Formats: sequence, C-alpha cells, structure tokens
Amino acid sequence: MTQQNKTRMGVTAAASLALAVGLAACNNDNLTAVNNNPNAPTDAPATALFTNAVQTGVSRWLGSGYDLRNLELIVQHLAENQYIGNDVYAGVAASSLSGTFTGAYSGELEDLQIVARKGAAASDVTISDPAIIFQQWEYGYLTDTWGDVPYSQALAGDSSTKVLNPMYDAQKTIYTGMMAKLQKAATDLAGKTTGNLGTADPIYNGSPAAWAKFANSLHARDAMRIVNADPTTASAELKAAFTAPGGVFTSNADNAVLKWPGDGIYNNPWAVNFASRDDDRMSKTFIDTLSANKDPRLPIFAMPAEANGQYVGQPNGLTNATAVAYSSSSSRPGAVFYPGPVPYGSGNYGGAGNSYPSYIMTYAEVAFIQAEAAERGLGGLTPGQAAGFYTAGITASMQQWGVKASDITAYLAQPSVAYKGGATGLKQIATQKWIALYSDGGQAWFEWRRTCVPNIKPGPAAKLSYVPRRVKYPSAEASANADAIAAAVADQGPDANSTPVWWDKTASAPTCK
Amino acid sequence: MTRHLHRAAAVVGTLLGLLPGAVRAQTTISGTVTNEAQTPVQGVSVSIPTMSVGGYTDANGHYSFTVASGRATGQTVMLQARRIGYQATSASIVLSGSAVAHNFTLTTAATQLGDVVVTALGETREKSQLGTAQQTVNADQLNQTFDPNLVNQLSGKVSGVNIVGSGTQGGSTNITIRGYTSISNSNQPLFVVDGIPVRNDDRGSSQSGGGMTGSKDFGSTIQDINPDDIESMTVLKGPNAAALYGSRAANGVILITTRHGAAGTTSTEITSSITWDRPSRLPDYQNSYGQGSAGEFEWVNGQGALDGNDQSYGPRFDGKPRDQFTGKGMPWVAHPDNVSSFFNTGKTMNSTFAVSGGNEKANGRLSLSGENVDGIIPNNFLRRLGGTANGTFQLSDRLSTTGSLSYTRNSGANRPGQGYVGGVLEQFVWFGRQVDMNALRSGYNQSATINNGPANREFNWNYSYHNNPFWMQYDNPERDQRDRIIANGSATYKVADWLNATLRTGTDYYHTNIDADYSEGNIELNNGSTTVDPAYAGAFSLVRDVASETNTEFLLQANKLVNRFDLHATGGANSRYENSTSEGVYTTGISVPGIYNIANAGIAPVNSQAQTTRKVNSIYGSAAFTYNGWWTVEGTARNDWSSTLPKDQNSYFYPSVNTSVVLTDAIPSLKTGALDYLKLRGSIARVGADANPYNLYTTYAGSASKFGGLPLFTLGNALLNPNLKPEQTTSTEGGVEFGLFGGRLSFDGSIYDKYTTDEITNVTVSNASGYGTVLINAGKIDNKGYEALISLDAYRGKNWSWNTSFNYSHNQGRVISLNPGLKTIYLSNFFGNGTVTTEARVGEPFGVIRGYRELRDSATNQLVLQGGLPVSTNEQETLGNIQPRWTGGWLNTLRYKGVTLNTTLDMHIGGNVFSGTNYFGDATGVLARTMYGREVDWDNPGITAKGLDMDTCGPDSHFTDNNKYVCVGGSQNTTNVTSENWFQNNQYVQGVVEPYVYDDTWVKLREVRLSFNLPQAIVRKLYATNASVSLVGRNLWTSTKVPNIDPEFSYTTANNQGLEYGVLPSPRSFGFSLRVTP
Repeated sequence: MTQQNKTRMGVTAAASLALAVGLAACNNDNLTAVNNNPNAPTDAPATALFTNAVQTGVSRWLGSGYDLRNLELIVQHLAENQYIGNDVYAGVAASSLSGTFTGAYSGELEDLQIVARKGAAASDVTISDPAIIFQQWEYGYLTDTWGDVPYSQALAGDSSTKVLNPMYDAQKTIYTGMMAKLQKAATDLAGKTTGNLGTADPIYNGSPAAWAKFANSLHARDAMRIVNADPTTASAELKAAFTAPGGVFTSNADNAVLKWPGDGIYNNPWAVNFASRDDDRMSKTFIDTLSANKDPRLPIFAMPAEANGQYVGQPNGLTNATAVAYSSSSSRPGAVFYPGPVPYGSGNYGGAGNSYPSYIMTYAEVAFIQAEAAERGLGGLTPGQAAGFYTAGITASMQQWGVKASDITAYLAQPSVAYKGGATGLKQIATQKWIALYSDGGQAWFEWRRTCVPNIKPGPAAKLSYVPRRVKYPSAEASANADAIAAAVADQGPDANSTPVWWDKTASAPTCK
Repeated sequence: MTRHLHRAAAVVGTLLGLLPGAVRAQTTISGTVTNEAQTPVQGVSVSIPTMSVGGYTDANGHYSFTVASGRATGQTVMLQARRIGYQATSASIVLSGSAVAHNFTLTTAATQLGDVVVTALGETREKSQLGTAQQTVNADQLNQTFDPNLVNQLSGKVSGVNIVGSGTQGGSTNITIRGYTSISNSNQPLFVVDGIPVRNDDRGSSQSGGGMTGSKDFGSTIQDINPDDIESMTVLKGPNAAALYGSRAANGVILITTRHGAAGTTSTEITSSITWDRPSRLPDYQNSYGQGSAGEFEWVNGQGALDGNDQSYGPRFDGKPRDQFTGKGMPWVAHPDNVSSFFNTGKTMNSTFAVSGGNEKANGRLSLSGENVDGIIPNNFLRRLGGTANGTFQLSDRLSTTGSLSYTRNSGANRPGQGYVGGVLEQFVWFGRQVDMNALRSGYNQSATINNGPANREFNWNYSYHNNPFWMQYDNPERDQRDRIIANGSATYKVADWLNATLRTGTDYYHTNIDADYSEGNIELNNGSTTVDPAYAGAFSLVRDVASETNTEFLLQANKLVNRFDLHATGGANSRYENSTSEGVYTTGISVPGIYNIANAGIAPVNSQAQTTRKVNSIYGSAAFTYNGWWTVEGTARNDWSSTLPKDQNSYFYPSVNTSVVLTDAIPSLKTGALDYLKLRGSIARVGADANPYNLYTTYAGSASKFGGLPLFTLGNALLNPNLKPEQTTSTEGGVEFGLFGGRLSFDGSIYDKYTTDEITNVTVSNASGYGTVLINAGKIDNKGYEALISLDAYRGKNWSWNTSFNYSHNQGRVISLNPGLKTIYLSNFFGNGTVTTEARVGEPFGVIRGYRELRDSATNQLVLQGGLPVSTNEQETLGNIQPRWTGGWLNTLRYKGVTLNTTLDMHIGGNVFSGTNYFGDATGVLARTMYGREVDWDNPGITAKGLDMDTCGPDSHFTDNNKYVCVGGSQNTTNVTSENWFQNNQYVQGVVEPYVYDDTWVKLREVRLSFNLPQAIVRKLYATNASVSLVGRNLWTSTKVPNIDPEFSYTTANNQGLEYGVLPSPRSFGFSLRVTP
C-alpha cells in the first residue's frame, strides 16, 4: 500500500468515526426519554395520599413540635425543667413554628386538595369530603394560631392561575368558609352508606356517617370559637351544627382518633419525644387544679415526683437554673405517653406508649361546647340543659383516659365539682374543657384566649409580660409573601404576640392579663 | 438509518480523502529539537517564515512539514525554531527538492513565563498565546507534604481558588474558583484526569448532623486519586479558560495530568512518608466548676433528675468527696485534659512505588500506592490502596494509542460523627468538666449497672443525652469502602502533518458501601426519633451507591502555519452518560444483639432506592490564530444537548473569544532595561448549564414503610417546571503577565467580572400555594474579583538560592436579583427554625449570615436589658457573610547545596463564621470565658451588666426602624444575675446569635518541608536522578480571630458553608518523607 493510500484510508476511517460520533450527538430525540424519572410517579392514588395526609397532620398539630414543646407549656399543662426556651415563650417570639405553618400547607393540605380534586372528578363525595373536612380541622389550628392566613387562594400554585403567593384572608372570612364547607360536607355524606376510602382512612375506615358527625362537631367548635366576636352568627351556626344531618358526637365511640401502629416507624409522637428527652414536667397550674378536686385523671396524666412520690407541679417560665431544681421534685408527664413501663430517666422504655392514640376531636369537647351553648342560650339549647352536658363532658373525658366508673362517680359527687350555672358555670365548663384538652395544647390555648380560664400568668423569666395571643408569622412567609403579610397586618394589627385575632375579644379583659 | 450513515460517510470520506491528493509532490523538512540537556522539547514552532510554512514539534521533539515541490527550486531559505522560554534559533537550508533534515538545540531564555502548558481538551499550547487565566502546579510544589485529599495539597498555592478543608480526616474539602456562581447547584469545579472527566461526588455531612449516617463526613470522592501519580495540576480559572468543557466548567476546571512513561529511560519513583498527627486546636475550657446546674450536682443512679444534666454550672471543685458517675464518692476535681486525652496521636503513612520506561514504539508506567491513616479519633482508620497502569503504543508513524487503567480501594472505619446530632465534639460541649476520660476509656465495654445505670446501656457519665464516646467508636462499628475504576483509551491518527484525529473514551466507575451498626442503648438522635429504639437490641443501616460517568469524544486537531499566522484549530464531538444509583436499608431495632442483618430486624426495615441518569451530547470547536508569534485571537464555540432540559430547550450554544498580545515581541524596544516580557490578555465567554435530572415534572414520593400496612404517597414540595431553560454564565476577564530582571521576577494578574443569569433555582414561594419552592429560571449573581501571582528569585547563588512567591485572590460575589418579589433564598438554616441562617439575599453578598442581635439603645448604643439580661432585637439582621475578603498564599523555597526548605503559609482574611461550639459552649459553661461572673463563687459576684434597664424606660420608649430601641429616661441596670443565667440567655431565651458570629480570619503554616538530597552514588543505584529525605509538617501553626475552634471546616462540598457546630479540628502533622524521582 502506498503512503497516499494509507493516508486516504486513515482519513476515511477518521471521517467515519467523526460522523458516527457526530450523528450520535445529533440524535437528540432520545434524550428526553433519559429524563423520565424512574424513582417516583407523576400520579398517585387518592387513598395513599389520604392516609399519609392524616398521619402527617396529626403528628403536626398533636405532635411534639407545635403541641408538646410549645402550646402545652403556654397553657400550663406542662412546664420545662431544663432548656427552658419554649416555657419562656422563645418559641412563639422567634417564629420558630415556621415549619408548622409551611409544612401544613405544602404537606398534607396540598395532598388533601388533590384527594378532593380526584374525588370531585369521580363525583365521589366519600373520597372528597373526608379530605375537605380534615382540611378544615387543620385550617382551624392555622387561623387560631396566626390569625389571618391564606384560605381562599391557598393551594392554587399548580392551578391555571398559578397563585404562588396567595393573599391572607381575614379570619372572619375563613370562619365563614370553614363552617360552610363543613356543613356542605356533612349534608353530602349523611345519606351515603359506603365510603370508598375504606381502610385507607385510618380514622373512620371510610364511614360517611362518622365523617358527617366529625364535620358537624368541628362546625360546633368553630361556631363557639367566634361567640365573643359575633354571637348572632355563633348561635345560628351552633344550631346548624347541632341539627345538621348526621348530628354531632354523642359518645366516645364517635371520637376522631388516630391509632398509631407503634411499629418503631409510626409511633405516638409524644412517646417518641419522651424516649429521648427529659425536659418536661407537669405544670404547677395543672397539678394544683387537678389536686384541688382530687381528680382521678391525675395519676394518668402525671407520674409521682421522683424525689417524694407526690404529684407536684413545676411553676412555668423559670430560668434554666431555677427550673433544673424541680427536676426530681416535680412530676413527669403520665406513663401512658412513655414507650415503656420504667418511669424515670430516658432511653429505658419498653413499648406501650408508642401505640397510644392521638385524639383529633373528642365527644368530651363537644359536650362542653353543648354545655356552654346551653348556659348561654345559644344554638337552640337552654340553660337548664347545661348541667347534663357538663356532667357528660367530664364523664366522657374520664372514660377516654381510662378512669374507673366508681372514681368518676366519686369525683362528680364532690360539691366543688357540681355544676353551679351562670358565670360560675361557664368558668366550670371552661376549666373542665382545659383539663379534657390535655394533649391538645392548641385547642386548650385557643379556648384560654376566648375564656381567660383558668388563671394563667407568664412565668418570672418569660420573654413576654403577657401570655401570647398569637404566633408571629413565619420568617419563610415574611420573605416569600411579604406583600400578603403586610395586607394581613393592615387588617388585623401588628405582627406581634400581643395582637388579638378577630374572635379574641378578651385580650384586654383584666382577668386575662 | 444505516443506509443514510453509509452514504454520508462515503461522501465525507471521499471529500476528505481527496485532500492529500492536492499536495501530492512535496519536499519534507524534518528534524528534532532538544534543549541543552538533550531532552526533546515539545511545541516548538519550526517554520520557514518567508514561505509561510511550518509545523510544531511533538512530544518527542520531532517536527516535520512539507513544501510543495513546485516551490522548492534550489533556493536557500532561513529555517527558524521558536518557542517561548527559549532563544529563537535559525539556520540556513537549501530547498533542492529532496528531503531536508535539520536538528535544533535551543538554549533556555531568561524568562520563566513562557512555558508550554496543557489547556482545555488536553491541548499543549504556548502560554504566550493564551488569552485566558490558568495556573499550573507541578508535582514538586503539589506534593511537598502529604494529605489524603489532593485538593488540600493545592491549598494556598493557586490564586483565585478558595479551599476550605474538612476538619475530619478523610473528610470533604470545599473548593471554589472565583466565588459561588450557583445558588442551588454545585459550585465545585470540574475535575478532568488525562482528558477524562472524573466525579467528585459529595458524601459529606451537615452542621446539624442526624440521620443514620448523616453526621459522618465520608469525604468528597476526588480523594481517590493518588497525589503521587500526578505530574501536574492546572487550574482553568473561569468559564473563559474552560468554555470547551461545557456546562460543568462554569465553576472552572482542574486538569490533572498523571505521570507517564517516556521513551528511552527506565526509571523508578518512590515516595514514602510517615507523619504523626494531633488535633491542631481544641477549645479553652474552664476547670473550676463541674457538672450540674445552679451550683448543684449529685449523682444518684444515672437516672436521677440532675444526673442527666449535661452542663458545667455545677458546684465549684473543692476536692471533697462527692457521688459521681463512677458510682461512688470521688474527689470533686477538674480533669483539665479530659477532652485532649480523648484523642490519639494519629499516624499517617503513604507510599507510592512506580516504574516507567519503554522505547519509541511503546512505553508505560506502572504505579502502586498505599495509604494508611490511623486517625486522631480512637479506632478511626482510613486505608487507600491503588494501582495505575498507563501506556502509549505507537502502532505506526501515523497511529498511536494510549490507555490507562487505575483501580483504587478507599476504605474507612469508624469515622467520627460531627455536628449537632451525633458529633464527637458535640458531647464535649455538653459536658461535665470533672469527667475523668480514663474512666470512660477503661469502662466503655462494661455495663451501666456498675454505676447503677440502666441495664441496657454502656457505662457512661450521662444516661440522658450521650453515649460513652469510646463505646461509640469501638462498639458501634461503621465501615465504608469505595472501589473505583478509572479507565480510558485513545487513538490518535495523524491524518496529515498538520492534522490529528483522536478518538477517546473513558469511564469513571465506583461502588460505595457504607455499613453502620448501632449497639443496644445507642441514643444518638435522628431528627427527633431515636436511632435505636430502646426496646431493641441495636440497629443498623446499609448504603450501596454505584456511580459512573462515561465520555466518548472525537477530536480533530489542526496546527498549521499559514503566511505569518499560526493556526490551532480543534473540532470535536462528545457524548457523556452519567448514571448513579443509591440503595439503602435501615432499621431502628434488631432482635438479637450483634447480628446486623435484615433478617434480624425487629422493626420493619426502611428501604430506599434512587436512580439518576443524565446524558449530554456536544459538538464544539475552537480556532486560534497567532500573528507573528505575538498576537493571538482565539474563538471557541460549543453546542450541548442535555437530557435534563425540555425537548425544545435542550439545545444550547455558547461561544467565547479571547486575545493576547506579547507587547515585548510586538514592540521590541520595550525589552530594554528591566522588562523582559510583557503580555496583555482579555477574553469574554459564556457557558450554558443544564438542570439536574428529573426536574421537569413534580412527582409523588412513596414511602417504603407502610402505615399499619397502608401505602403512603405525598406530592413533592417543589413545583417543577416543564419549561426550564439553560442557565448562562458570562465572564469577562483581562490579565497582564510580565517578567523583570532577567526573569527573576514574574507577575501574572487577572481581573474579572462573572455573572450568572437565568439561574435554575428552586425559589421559595409561599408554602400556602401548596408548594415550598418553584423551580424557575431567575436571578442573577455577580462575582467580581482580581487575583495575582508574583514570584521572585530573590537570590540565586552558587550554593544558595531563595525563591519566594505570593498569590492573592479577592472575590466579591453579590446577589443582584432573584425572582421578582423574592428577597432571599436560604442556603442553610442551622436549627431549622431560622435562629441563624446563611442566605442568598437580594442586593447583598452571596452567603450572608443572619440572626438576631442584642437590643441596643438608639442614642447611646448601650445594651437594653430586662431583668439584667440582654433582649433580642425585633428583626433578624445580616451579621456577616461567608466570603473571605481575600485569600492568599506565601510560598518560599530556600536552597543551600543539597538542602531545601519549603514553606507554605495559607491565609484566609475576613469573612465571617457562626460558631455553634462557642454558642452552646457558653450555655453549658464548659468554656473558660464562662468563669465570668462566677470567679469567686457560684453566684457571687454574679453579673450586673452595664446597660439601660428596659423596665425603667419611659412610656414614649419604642423600637426604631433600624432595629434599635429608643429608651426615654431610663436608668442603668442594677439587677445582678448569675453567670449561668447570663450565659444561657442568648441561647435558651432570646435566640440571639450576634456575639457568636466571628471574623473568620486565619493564617496557617500549612506546609514545612526540609529536605536533604541523597548522594548521587545512591541515587544512580535506584535508577533515578534525584532522591531526598525530608522532615515534613502540616498545619504546624494556626493564628485566628475565631475563639476555641479550628476556623477551617467544610462538612460538605455543598453550598451550606459558614455555620459551625462541633467541628473536628484538622490534624497537625509532623514526620518524615522519602522521595526518589526519575
């Protein structure tokens, strides 16, 4: 072969290679397929979304971040014996509940929105309405914690209008919206017998009737919440709730409850906290109230203090150095929340608390709402009915926590417990509700803000000179949605812990300061 | 398709095949160019300027070009050989029609500036012709001392580069070139080894730690490359220098050229070193007060209320017997060295043995290396074993092939945790100063029952929040291993004297295992849930990662002299395929102790699996014209097609131009006096970048763990975007290089402005939209800076010489804009609650540190106190930023006969860091400075702080817009508070971080090497030309403004830098090394 031929062959070979690689490079149609995500689907079943939304939502509002380590302290069910930040209101002052707000919307509320959409597309209210009802349960916490929050424009980031930074609705509008949605859902569901969520619904197994009752009970909660701001609407809405198809809760069997699998992965969030942290003691305010009436729930709610075997509460809002001294001389929270039988220290527990249920809404609360409505003559009830509801509420709460029947009878027989009616009666109802709402610190706090009962004062080391009336808007929102927050501030007042929300008319009451 | 290909190939082949026919009758002029040492010189331009023909020498110094026979008519012409760095030489030859052979020997010119350098696509070019900034560090300078991560060995040596090592041995080193350009994506440069891109994946940790293995830093994967196999590292500093490498070059490129064999010499290399390592810096602790709070402590049974307290605000050390964690009354005394005695004296050994040689036809190099690190943390080991073989085979005059295969096994055992959750040093922040480390060391494998502790726990000083640190290291084994293969092969065909065609393909593949076992009673936290369920006998996690990247490239490279123009042109196409999979299993409870197998899981194991694939096709080209050897204009262009972008947006084009002028050649009269050499350069370039895979459509995340048997799904929180566009980085730079005094002083400086637009960014939106972030093209980040390298041969004598060089870099990155309406994007959020964050904030430097300040009076700037304690401002403010004001390095080489002293001083000036160790070290009372207020006794005298008492401020007092307070008529504070309350106020009550944001200035004596050349008699027996033994030291001295910690830390190569907690101090090493070089 001549040199020239060699050269020519080489050039041909090189050019062919160039072409091959070049064509490969230009054959870019297949590239798009390379980018199909093999790890996760672009659609998912409504049932699996619903199950996840419920367990996520319950851990959020009844879990350790919002509830146990913040609001249970503010309402003085619990106190912190070390690392006392939240007990002196550092949590609400520094918008550290940011993740609770942001997580709720982009987490379960969005997933529930998709479930509702899927249900609507299939014209199946037994899919869409439980999702809508559970959303309203969460919106209640959101608006009562922060005041004006996104509602009408919320969860529309992926809609055709692409609302990425939704406006904040006035709280009054939110309440109107929540109650209307609950009423409609209850009406839709009351006639249905089969629920298509089925076992994917870990609360009611898909039962439309049970969801209707839950919707009506939430409706009643919302209606009573606004009683100081708009008594007329409150009365009408209470009546609507009590008389709606399906009715409200009538026994503990109706309670909205999430049973935790307790399998080491999905555990009761309080139990998870107590497995590794020993920062909580019972509040003196709570223990003193329970002890005064020899409340049989006391040994369930609390453990005897390590130092003396007595039920002793720790004052709230102490400095770290002062609080530490109470570590052994005050009571830890009750053993039911610990993942095992060994009461002291941490990391030593065996298992039971992990599957302790979380109570989303209870008959006891409904009975106290009915008692208050009766005492106030609202919602078609009359003062004469108040005592019955009051007793029913106490009984339901005690049964829920596992108190023996004889102890309930003995408790109710005490003159100090017997219902007295009038202003005193309202105070008795509020006090019992505050007790019954142990482990639901959010609701206990909202009710305290509405009723000023019991007498709660900030501790000596508290960052604020008053009990917080709301939580400051999340820093994430201040950065991303500043204009909407500015409008909300213009509507409801400064973004401060002292600003009362729309329904909160007791902030200036002397008893509530 | 096949038929089309054939036809197209035939057409193109015919066209190209015809070309040699056009230059049929010709005279060949050839020869070899060597230097004074008879070593071949590559890249010499040999030409007949009057006829505008010529060529370049290859790696063997050989040149060859032709003159058409019609032009060779017996005339005498001047044949000239030129190369920067050498005196130009010419010779007369006669063109008589027959072949002419002429060899040149070039003498070195005074200036050192004109090296031949490796630049983009592995092309060797004269530095004088480059219009872009790059800097090369050769093996001598790179390997003065040994560090397991080769990036650390660049530290302080290259201008424009900011390197922050991990404190952890074998950890991640963060390297950025000319600042941060991307908010959401990696800012690490692209690493290219012998033309093949290799992965530098991040297996780092975070400041908050947590997760089954999340608090351990497994290092960035570039450290698999053995520093002793490296011939040189070249840093292409900006998009300008790197436009030809595509998207990933927006952050710069680090070209690694490995050692190769050479024809004619058989040589041996031996490098070996051993160093002993100690922690370079530990906090300054107080030794007057022990464990406890409010001045009280008494051990009950390990589970008593105060037993769990992990602070040192307990009783003053009085030497009297007190019940302690040992389970019995012991003298209440401090153990001042308890933390330092936790650490071992580590030992780092490394060796590389290589042989190389061959002939003109075939040559190669084989290297074996081993590295053995016994960590400063007990029971922590790192091992690396590697082998590399590469070779060149000249098949014919025209066809040569090269191949390289390297295998590395990189393994680690019991890497220490770091950060807030699971960190080793975290425990020493929450600590009792009386704890006797020897008791923990000797008792770690005994049951807690010996001090009445829980039966299922190991003996420890605290049963609430901590595990015995020795038990953690010895009884909770973690093993990780990465097997890595990097292989490449190429064939180059010399189509014509001036034209080469190269086909190259290479794969980088690795497999990583991480197995972590947790014994019963391990209570290290995992984001709020326990790692080990207390009801079970232990836990474990397994991680299996496989990653690969394959590149196939075809290149045509032309070098030709046309008239007075030198032409360098390149055209090519590349196909890149990346694939990674990660699979993991963990359980938080096993049934039978000691068996860490899925079959023994007591709690259903949690599985995870993820696979990522990306493909990018590219074509590119460049052309550089040099006029008369002194003026060069170069243009580059590239088009990429990426799988990660939408179909109609997946093609993107980006060009660059640059120019350089050697003024001293253009205007020879300049070359008088001191000035030897002066070059100016300038360039403008754009680089496009694609998205990460799977970022077009929002997906639903499933959960491998079922809720009581029920499947779970949730919609992703990021609203993804089917309309993404590529992001664009545009860079403009100018530079000047000059040499003075016969090459004794050289200077290379650059100034640049680089901005990135259309950043593919997950911008934060209101979560109330249903999404936390929306992926869009938005925002602009601008980096402006300047950098310089100055080198001076301060003294050149017969016996003595002294070279000193200094490099300096200043970069200021600013966030010009984000999505309209968006103020900031969080880079990191330490506590997850906004107490202290780093952010990309509109109008501010990239990486500002934000948090609350202590409230001050507007008029007098005094603290405003409440109950004697500072209070927080209303709003968070910018307290600093993570970017240093400047960084630099000062290198010295001092020689006396066969003795050489090298030193590297590494400087990091300005910028800020938040130190969580200091923040919590105050709250827990372990730091020496927390003696303030309790010098005499627990609360006597206490602290009566200077400041205004807020409660005495009048009714008109108010907060101001600038986050201060107007105190009307207030009086001085008179409230006395205890030291404990004082030091816990910012942390537990106010969330104020301002006092803990420090000026991040530090200077480290990075390297010291004192070497002694061995006598030539010994050297020759080793088939070598040089051999030396040295005393070496790394990190021998640190000076910093940050108290208590080693201010150099990275945790990870991701963008969440600048927030410290429980960081491990980098080791201070001292030892010996032996080096035998060919």
